[in-house]
Amino acid sequence: MAGKKPRIVAIDDEADFISMLEDYFRLRGYEITTTSKAVHGIELISNNKPDVVILDLKMPGISGDEILGLLKSRQPKAKVIFITAFDDAGKTKARLLNAGAYAYLDKPVESLKKLEDVINAAYSGK
Amino acid sequence: MNSSNIYYPLSGLINAFTSIILGLFVLSKNRSNIKHITYALFCLSIAVWSSFYFAWLVTDVEGVALFCSRGFMAGAIFIPCFYLHHIVTLLNLNVVKRRLIRLIYGFSFIALLANLTPDFVTGLTPRLSFKFWPIPGIIFNIFLPTWGFIAVYGAYLILKSYNNSIGVEKNRLRYVLIGTIIGWSGGATNYFLWYGISVPPFLNILVSVYIGIVAYAIVRHQLMDIEVIIKRTLVFAGLLASTFAIIVLPTLIIQEYLVGRAGFVVRLAGLTISGIFIIFAMQRIKDFLANVTDKFLFQKKYDYKELLKTFTSEVLTVLDLNKLVKTTVDKLSQIIKLDSCGILLFDENKGDYRLVASQGIKEKNIIMTPENTLVSFLSKTKTSLSTKLLEKGTKTPERIKEDMERLKFDLAIPLITIQGEMPGILTLGKKKSDEDYTQDDMDILLPLARTLAIAISNAQMFVELGETQAEAAQKDKMAVIGTLSAGINHEICNPLGIARGHCEAFLLNMKDGLYKDKTSEELIEKAQVIMGKVIHETDRATGITKRLSSFSKPSKDVVSEDVNIKHEIAEVLALVSYQMRLNKIDIVQDIGEDVPSIRADKKQIQQIFFNLIRNSAQAITERGKLTIRAKRVDGKVFVEIEDTGHGIPEDKIEQIFNPFYTTKEPGKGTGLGLFIVRQVVERNGGKISVKSKVGEGTTFLLEFPAAVKAKA
Repeated sequence: MAGKKPRIVAIDDEADFISMLEDYFRLRGYEITTTSKAVHGIELISNNKPDVVILDLKMPGISGDEILGLLKSRQPKAKVIFITAFDDAGKTKARLLNAGAYAYLDKPVESLKKLEDVINAAYSGK
Repeated sequence: MNSSNIYYPLSGLINAFTSIILGLFVLSKNRSNIKHITYALFCLSIAVWSSFYFAWLVTDVEGVALFCSRGFMAGAIFIPCFYLHHIVTLLNLNVVKRRLIRLIYGFSFIALLANLTPDFVTGLTPRLSFKFWPIPGIIFNIFLPTWGFIAVYGAYLILKSYNNSIGVEKNRLRYVLIGTIIGWSGGATNYFLWYGISVPPFLNILVSVYIGIVAYAIVRHQLMDIEVIIKRTLVFAGLLASTFAIIVLPTLIIQEYLVGRAGFVVRLAGLTISGIFIIFAMQRIKDFLANVTDKFLFQKKYDYKELLKTFTSEVLTVLDLNKLVKTTVDKLSQIIKLDSCGILLFDENKGDYRLVASQGIKEKNIIMTPENTLVSFLSKTKTSLSTKLLEKGTKTPERIKEDMERLKFDLAIPLITIQGEMPGILTLGKKKSDEDYTQDDMDILLPLARTLAIAISNAQMFVELGETQAEAAQKDKMAVIGTLSAGINHEICNPLGIARGHCEAFLLNMKDGLYKDKTSEELIEKAQVIMGKVIHETDRATGITKRLSSFSKPSKDVVSEDVNIKHEIAEVLALVSYQMRLNKIDIVQDIGEDVPSIRADKKQIQQIFFNLIRNSAQAITERGKLTIRAKRVDGKVFVEIEDTGHGIPEDKIEQIFNPFYTTKEPGKGTGLGLFIVRQVVERNGGKISVKSKVGEGTTFLLEFPAAVKAKA
C-alpha cells in the first residue's frame, strides 16, 4: 500500500459509527475527518476537498442524495461511497449508482478491511 | 213440586240462560259469519226448548203444561237441524252437505207443523214424580229416531275431521266431540219417560255444558282476539251462578228438609237467610272472583311485558350468535311456557338450514334444504305458518306435516331481515296451557321475530366482521412492520455494525502491528473501551428487539395495571422517531411530571399511541411538527396528539372512526386503524375524539380516568 492515502470525509448521524471509522483509518495513516451532522458535512467537504466521501443515506436535515447531488456539481472528482441500512430491494442502490455514486455498501459493513479496499479502489481508480 | 223435581225445572232454566247468553255473545262477535249464525240458531232452539221446559215443569195447570210441552217440542224439533247445520259449517262442509241440510230443514218444518196436531204430543200423563209428562204421538215416533240419527251423524262428522286434523285444531275438535257426546247424552235422558222407561231426565243440565264447550271452541276457532272477553264473560257467569246458587240453595234446603211442604212465609224465610248470607258473603265472593279474573285475564299481559323486557334487554343485545339463539329459545319457552321451541339457522357454508337451538325437540340434528317444502313456503311467503292456518286451507302437504312432527311446532315464523333474506326460522311448539296462538300472541311474536332476525344477522355480521377484522389486522400488522422496518433496520443494524467494526478494528490493528508501540496496560485499556462500546451497542439492539416483540404480541386479555403515559409514549417514540426525523417531522413532547398513571393494559395503550402517532406522521407530507401533550385535569388524564398535516375535511371527520374508512391509497391502509384504536381506547375505559382543520392539522384527544393510587 505504497503511495499517498486518500483523504476521507465521513458523514453519518451515528456518532459511534464514525468514531469507529476514525479509529481504524487514522491509525492506518488516512486523513479522515468526520461529522454526525449532515449539514456540517457540506462545509467539511468544501473545506477538505476529500478524495472519498463516506455517506449515510438517510439523515436528519439533509439526505445523502442531496449531498451526492452537491458533490457532483461542485467536486465531481470526489468518489462517493454510501454505507446505509436502508434497504429497498436494490432500487435505491441502482438509482444512486446511476447518479454517480462509486459504491453502495450495506450496514453493517461486512468488514472494515473490505471498506478499506473499496476506498482504495475508488481512490486509485481516479 | 217435591225436592227432586226442583232440579229439573232449574236445569231447564240454566240451559235457557246459558244458551241465550252464549248464543247472543257468539253472534255479537260476528254477525255475518255462518258459523256464528248457525251456532246462534242452535242456541235459540235450545233456549226455546228450555224455556218452555222450565214453564212446563213449574206449572200446576194441565192446559198450560200441554201448551208448554208443545212449546218445548217446537224448540226441540229444530235442535238437531241447527245442530247439524252448525257442525257442518264448523267443519267447513257446508257446501258438500248442502242438500242434506236442506232436507233436514224441510223435515223439521214438517215436524213443526205436525207439532200443532195431537199426532205429535198426544196428551199428558204422570210419570215418576212428574205430573204432566207428554205422551208421544205417531209423528213423534218418526221424529225421535231421526233426531238420534242426526245426533250420531254429527258426532261422526266431528270424529272424522278430528282424525284428519293435527295440532291445536285436533284439540279444539276434541273439545267439540266430547262436548257433543256429553250434551247429547245429557239431553237424551229427557226421552226415556216418553216411553214409560223409568229414567228421569237427570242429565238435562249437561246441555249447558255442551253449549259452553262449543261456544268456547267456536270462538277460539274464529275469533282469537276475544279470548279475554270470553274469560271475562265466564268469570261474570261464575259470579252470577254462585249468587244464584246462594239464593236458591238455602231456600230450597230449608223449604224441603227443615220445614217440609210449606207455604209462602217459609219460602220468604229461606230467601231472607239467603239474602243475609249474600250481604255478608257477596263482597268476599266478588273479591275472590276479581282476584281470579285479574290473575287469569291479565297474567298474559304481564308475561308479554316480561317477554318484551327480557328480549330487549337480555336477548337482542347478545352479539354471540350461539348464545343469542340459545337464550332466545330458553326465554321464549320459559315465558310463553312452551312444550317445545327451536331455531333453525341458514348455514352459509353448507347451504342449508340447521337446527341450532332447541327445547323439547328430541331430534337434534335437523337439517333442511332451502328446497324443503316448509322452508320454501316460509321463505317465499315470508309469513308465519301455523296449524290454524293449515286447517283452513285445503290440505296440508304430508311433507310439511312430517316436518311439523319432527320439529314439534304449532307455529313457524320465518326470520326475515330488512334485505328480505331469511337467515333462520323460529318454531314454537304447543303452549303448555293448550291454548292456541291468538292474535295477541302474533302481535307480539311477529315484531319479536323481525327484531330477532335483525339481531341474528347482526351477530352473523359480527362473526364475519371478526374474520375480516382478523384478516385486516394481519394486513395492518404487515403495514406496521413496513413502517417500522426502516427504523428498526437502522436501530438494529447500526449498533451491530458499530460493535462489529470496533472489534474488527482492534483485531486488524493488532494483526497489522499498529499497536506494537503500545504497552500491555494501554492495550487492555483500549480493549476495555472497545468492550464497553460493544456492550452499549448490543444493549441498544436488544432494547429495540424487546420493544418490538412486546409491541407485536399484544396480550389477548385486558390486563389492568398502572400505566405511565409518559413512559409508554417514550417507548413508542423509540420505535418511530427515527423514521419521523428522516421525514423531517419535529417531535415535541409536553408531558407534565404530575401526570398520573392510568389503569389500563400497557400493551394496548402502546398500540393506541403507536397508531395515533403513526397516523399523524403519515398525515404530514412535507416537514411538520408532531406535538404530544399530556396533562391532568381533576381525576382525568388528557393526552393530545397534534400534527401539522393535511387535516381532515369536515364532511369526513364523522367517518374516520368507522371500520374500513381510509383516505390512503388502495393497499396503503386497511382503514381499520382508528376503528380499532377507538375500540381499544374504550376497552380501557377511555374516550377518544378528534378535531381537525384542512391544511392546518389534526388533533386527537384522549381521555382516561386517572388511576387511584392504592394507599400503602
